[in-house]
Amino acid sequence: MPILSIVKSIVLQGLDGILINVETDISSGMPCWDVVGLPDTNIKESKERVRTAIKNCGIELLSRKYIINLSPASVRKTGASLDLAIAVGILSSMKIIKKEYMNNIVFIGELSLDGSLNKINGILPICIEAKKHGIEEIILPKENAKEAAIVRGLKVIGISNLKEVINYLNGKKNVPEQLINMDELLKSNTKNIVDFSEVKGQRCAKRALEVAAAGGHNCLLIGSPRIWENNDGKKITYHITRLKF
Amino acid sequence: MAKRLPTILPDLSFEESLEITKIHSISGILNNESLISKRPFRNPHHTITEAALLGGGRIPKPGEVSLAHLGVLFLDELLEFNRNTLEVLRNPIEDRKINISRVGINISYPCNFMLIGSMNPCPCGYYGSKNRECTCTVQQRNMYRAKLSGPMIDRFDIQVKVPSIDYDDINNNHIETSTNIKARVDKARKLQQKRYEKYSIFSNSELTPKLIEKYCILDKKTKEFLSSYFEKMKLTSRAYFKILKVARTIADLNNEEEIKMEYVLESLQYRGLDKL
Repeated sequence: MPILSIVKSIVLQGLDGILINVETDISSGMPCWDVVGLPDTNIKESKERVRTAIKNCGIELLSRKYIINLSPASVRKTGASLDLAIAVGILSSMKIIKKEYMNNIVFIGELSLDGSLNKINGILPICIEAKKHGIEEIILPKENAKEAAIVRGLKVIGISNLKEVINYLNGKKNVPEQLINMDELLKSNTKNIVDFSEVKGQRCAKRALEVAAAGGHNCLLIGSPRIWENNDGKKITYHITRLKF
Repeated sequence: MAKRLPTILPDLSFEESLEITKIHSISGILNNESLISKRPFRNPHHTITEAALLGGGRIPKPGEVSLAHLGVLFLDELLEFNRNTLEVLRNPIEDRKINISRVGINISYPCNFMLIGSMNPCPCGYYGSKNRECTCTVQQRNMYRAKLSGPMIDRFDIQVKVPSIDYDDINNNHIETSTNIKARVDKARKLQQKRYEKYSIFSNSELTPKLIEKYCILDKKTKEFLSSYFEKMKLTSRAYFKILKVARTIADLNNEEEIKMEYVLESLQYRGLDKL
């Protein structure tokens, strides 16, 4: 007998995230699949993705009445990132996922028809929001894991397909937490390709930019044509010589 | 040259990096970088629309102004931009954030950027050049200049003419590196942060007229000189305050509390549009 399940996910509105409860109920009656709670078109479409993904993981979906509610119902939800949460909700209603306490886990990810998890945009604000709500663990597409790992105090689990999620939640498979070395990260990014020493002459303009940078002033450069090309030419040749393939 | 500006701006703090990464993450333009630790540099083409500049869409996504948050927004060939497109920048420059309203949704993105523009002095491009003669009529020049509205010009504290380079300069290899310049900039910024701690502003560009009165004090001689210049050039009060603000920054770069005559003189050099 299927049960009611509630799993958590987050959708974005601008830079802020909203914690969403994905409530799933499977009952007998006319077979149908309804998503309620102000879903956008791309969430309504998730029905087909989720159904096929579950099927292609070797799990048979019975013809029953599936009701999925996204609460709070007053907020419009958009984006394909709720796919995973809906799939997990259904599987846990069907008791295929046996883990009972999932209140501190957030599920994010878009599903492919073969069950693999696709990368989504805006993972960093989602993770920051999750931490704000006291969430301890986030399960997301592998490609997003590195970005998410910046947020400290959140267990980030990067997973590549739905089957792995089921096995992980059932305790059959151990997926290591994604960790990141902060110091290395900051170092690796700071190298500059361009430098002011490449700009020949034009001391006046350089000084003006220095003053602008020092005081945060907006700056307008007025010059004859080809001045900019002269300088940027160097950068272009730099890129040309770097091409390999 | 403007591309190199981020190399002399102060380093980002972790919180600032996070803020930038958040915006880029939503736009989906993080390429395998997990944290952006360099100040962004955005230079949109001049055919850009208002929505692309400010942010838009049914569910509004950040525009170029927000992607340039805490970095540099470079508008090359400023006068080729659609006039309306430029005018919509006025608010975000002042507020340092942009509110976008769509049906049932209201989103605010931060956009604290440094605006750098480049333009030609006239349609042919050679007005004021020492090498070639300008072929434009006075009227053409005026029409060209009129594409930039007064309020927009007012938002540029520094307007500088860039002459074409001389032959000698091409072979000169003893030029300062970004690291050296950045050290001076860092010092000046620290001075300002300390000075304006209690006013919740961070740089001289944000000074209000009241604060200018307090922190940009001139000696008698300089004051007299500036007042005669003011009369002669028929400056507006806004222009006057800008001169003082920039002079304040130059003094900070020289690590001086007092604004000397020479700093004001340098500041007057950065009023290129007055002399066009």
